[in-house]
Amino acid sequence: MKPASAPSTGVAETSPARREAALRLAGQDLVVGYDDRTVIDGLSVDIPSGQLTVIIGPNACGKSTLLRTLGRLLKPRGGSVLLDGELLHELPPRRVAQRLGVLPQSPLVPEGVTVADLVARGRQPHQRWWQQWSPADQEAVQAALADADITELADRPVEALSGGQRQRVWIAMALAQQTEALLLDEPTTFLDVAHQVEVLRLMRRLQQGGRTVVAVLHELNQAARYADHVIAMKHGRIVASGPPADVITAPLITEVFALACTVIPCPLTATPLVIPNP
Amino acid sequence: MIVSVGPASFVLPRRTLLVTLGLGAVLVAAMIAAVSLGTMTVPPGDVVRSLLTGGTDYDLVVRELRWPRVVLGAACGAAFGLGGALIQSVARNPLSSPDVIGVTQGAGLAATIALTSGMAYQLIAPAAMAGGLLAAVVVFAFGARTGFAANRFVLAGVAVAFALRAGIEVVMSSAETIDALRAQIWLIGSLNGRGYEEAGALGLVLLLALPLLLWAARALRTSALDDDTARALGARPAARRVAVGALGVVLAAAATAQVGAVDFVALVAPQVARRLSRAERPPLAASALAGAALVVAADLAARLLLAPTQLPVGVLTAGIGGPYLVYLLIRRRR
Repeated sequence: MKPASAPSTGVAETSPARREAALRLAGQDLVVGYDDRTVIDGLSVDIPSGQLTVIIGPNACGKSTLLRTLGRLLKPRGGSVLLDGELLHELPPRRVAQRLGVLPQSPLVPEGVTVADLVARGRQPHQRWWQQWSPADQEAVQAALADADITELADRPVEALSGGQRQRVWIAMALAQQTEALLLDEPTTFLDVAHQVEVLRLMRRLQQGGRTVVAVLHELNQAARYADHVIAMKHGRIVASGPPADVITAPLITEVFALACTVIPCPLTATPLVIPNP
Repeated sequence: MIVSVGPASFVLPRRTLLVTLGLGAVLVAAMIAAVSLGTMTVPPGDVVRSLLTGGTDYDLVVRELRWPRVVLGAACGAAFGLGGALIQSVARNPLSSPDVIGVTQGAGLAATIALTSGMAYQLIAPAAMAGGLLAAVVVFAFGARTGFAANRFVLAGVAVAFALRAGIEVVMSSAETIDALRAQIWLIGSLNGRGYEEAGALGLVLLLALPLLLWAARALRTSALDDDTARALGARPAARRVAVGALGVVLAAAATAQVGAVDFVALVAPQVARRLSRAERPPLAASALAGAALVVAADLAARLLLAPTQLPVGVLTAGIGGPYLVYLLIRRRR
């Protein structure tokens, strides 16, 4: 991956986004649960278009559930998700998949599939059964491989890769989908710190290319540095949302995570830096 | 490797393409050998000439006696291979092939009832088809609750298959001896005395299935992923599994209805195709060709082994297919 200061031409070329036509994604009065357990009860949220939004919160607070609902992986029991004002769960799945990419948490790796083959499956929503490969598909896959910095792994079987490499393969698959918005569920899990930063920079570049990016992250200081907009959740509700400097404060983090901490400005970027109290 | 025809385009991995061509060659060779060998041996050159232009001394043997049977063997083998490949891919389990999960047994029970109750000859194939589909509906209903991928789907299928087999025994033991014998022969599966009529019925099913197979080949690319990822790519995983599985069941049940319960082809042909092409799931075209070649070769062996007695082909598909699959499994382990 290239440094954040030099936006990759691949991203710029493949991004379908036009800032003025950025998609709007919102949830209204959402009630979501699994079986007999309600995780989210009456939540409304607006995802800012063209920005990098990070959802934070303690384990089991419903942040993944919210992301999965916004990404059409879960059907809400009540309320609705709106994509440009239309009911997301009633739109044709293929049309949604052309506009909205979702990377679920730790997907299952199919046996004996090469990196290039898996990334190419991201093109599925753009293909028809009689038109299974086009030059546009080829370009999108090449660009996605380059953006995720895995071009040289293209012919390797996915199951033979390390956790970090695999994670980048899945991100590349979502990139090949060329959607205006990208929802990522804990994209930095299993990565060492250098690869975490690479993924965060890639998310930033995608946002700069005009896409709406939403990610669930655990690392508060990464959220503070890379997010335009932070949503803090606890017990299935949104406790606070806004720019990092407004949301990531000592009282709020103490409340949400039940962790006494001090927040100071980062000496490098002046973004909030959370330091747990000794 | 990309195959494009006008605006249409398809992707075929190079190795899969080579395996498909190779299996196609094996099939052609097996078909020629099957026409050539027998109580009267016809030189291969004359086989080809007789088939293409006619006018040789062997026209009667080649065109009337042997070729129709070979064509039927290839057609039912292809249908079994495709049916097995589709159902195995959907359940992500090589054991979930139609002859293990009860489709064949359902068809068998229906056919046994039809044969022993004196039903008209023309109604036996439709009855068998209906029986196979009905058994599949029961197994699918079990499987749908656990998302098909679970082992419970296969277990439910095996249980249903055993129950149906028990049903067959009950019907047979309470039937007249001569009827039970006819049912027994049907159950093993045989190409004896069958030909163009059955092959035509199967050919029609295969032809109708072709566009659906092109769709299924693509649908399986996302179905091989987990449900969340498939959904993120705009697929409806559950609906897709039912549709692809149903297509596989129809093909397997149609083949069973025409030639009887030729065991093991639907299980082994897709696995042979998959292991040869080193793919994540059985490639459809290669599975069809492997199934066709297996049935044609098995039927040839069935005719020759105890000549002039003709064994039912079902006895030999397992005999040839089984050891070959074991060989492939062992070779891959090294």
